[in-house]
Amino acid sequence: MTKPSLTKTGMIDFRGVNKWFGALNVLKDITLSVEPREVVVVCGPSGSGKSTLIRCINGLETIKNGDLVVDGQRLGDPATNMTRLRTEIGFVFQSFNLYPHKTALENVTLAPIHVRKIPRAEAEHAGRELLAKVGLADKVDAYPAQLSGGQQQRVAIARCLGMRPKVMLFDEPTSALDPEMISEVLDVMVAVAEEGMTMMVVTHEMGFARKVAQRVVFMDAGAIVESGTPDEFFSHPRTDRSRAFLSKILRH
Amino acid sequence: MIWQQFLGLAGSYPLALRGLGMTVVLSLISLVLGTALGFGLGILRTGGNRLVGSVIGAWVDLIRGTPFLVQIFLIFFILPEFGIELDAFTAGIIALTNLAACFICEIVAAGIRSVPSGQVEAALASGLSRWQRMRQVVLPQAMRIVLPPLVGQYVLLIKDSSVVSAIGLTDLTRVGWLVVQRVPNGLLVFFLVGVGYFIVCYPLIMLARRLERRMGAAHGEVQL
Repeated sequence: MTKPSLTKTGMIDFRGVNKWFGALNVLKDITLSVEPREVVVVCGPSGSGKSTLIRCINGLETIKNGDLVVDGQRLGDPATNMTRLRTEIGFVFQSFNLYPHKTALENVTLAPIHVRKIPRAEAEHAGRELLAKVGLADKVDAYPAQLSGGQQQRVAIARCLGMRPKVMLFDEPTSALDPEMISEVLDVMVAVAEEGMTMMVVTHEMGFARKVAQRVVFMDAGAIVESGTPDEFFSHPRTDRSRAFLSKILRH
Repeated sequence: MIWQQFLGLAGSYPLALRGLGMTVVLSLISLVLGTALGFGLGILRTGGNRLVGSVIGAWVDLIRGTPFLVQIFLIFFILPEFGIELDAFTAGIIALTNLAACFICEIVAAGIRSVPSGQVEAALASGLSRWQRMRQVVLPQAMRIVLPPLVGQYVLLIKDSSVVSAIGLTDLTRVGWLVVQRVPNGLLVFFLVGVGYFIVCYPLIMLARRLERRMGAAHGEVQL
């Protein structure tokens, strides 16, 4: 077993990572490094393992072998406090997963108050500012059921930002949204990226990738097939599989 | 004839009140204890430790699969064989609490399992501890599923408390047995005993129905 050197690591480091669901090899020998302040877009056909890839980073999925080091801490290492590491990693879900019994503000302040132990008044002040930042100053006391999908996802992003994470992971954040709500969520994500957040984003939104991503990673059948700048990848895909994929998402 | 029997019954009024009091006290204590224990067991049952979960599951099945009368006899007559002396009241409380806990454990576990896994993932991802996830995210959402059947279960348990009369506790049912020896009209006496139970249970039945309606309405509101 090789311990990764902690001298030269990115914010997120996959080295030879494999994962199986039963007999299915869902992640095949993944090696990928994400630097601080970098924005990486992950795309690929459904079932290619891209969601699994980012779910491994905060331990929602466990890896079988290889090394995965996040913020200098090796996952699966007994010395790594997973609960503490997760406070540094924001995760935005495809289906928002807001707490339905809590208001927008309570959704944002729950973890800061109970995990970060920030005084309630201070956390609520910060929460209101974050909700204003994502354009929902007037929805502070609304329950998730009273919000549109786009609004819910913006609350979910504010909920992550409330923890002041070092990394934010987005798992198809706009896939469950009606088309007219996609841009309001992407605008917020662009703003977060421009503030220097380290981000890994599973999405097919090419406009977003071109605007803020330094790198696009294309996955197919559990493996990273291609990786390059958005311009290289979208304009000059190098493999048949990425060309086939792009022709499908570009058709409409 | 009937009138004389009524007068005889009127004389038993203090005894009946005592019996009703015993039924209420017995039910109240064991429901409070059983609810606390049942929530604890339900949380442990779904907590992810397979061994703990299956031990609790086996115990719950055992209790649900045997008559309550037999359980009371076991506690009251068998435990002294092992040197544990219990008065009838304590034995009754233990038996009823255990019964309540087992039924409530199942209700709570079902409620917890009904909370979508995405909720737990969201709580996990924001760094909440196991207890914080349960307390802040899972239990409040499970309660809407748990409450209506929980109150319904209370009604069943209050009625089950009548079984403790078998070990000599003077509850409402035993008062019926005592009175009917003096006033030989079983129909009338046990009709009144039934009325006594109904008076205690009916408010709970109404509460369960209201909760069910409210939870149903609230649930519809969440589905956009």
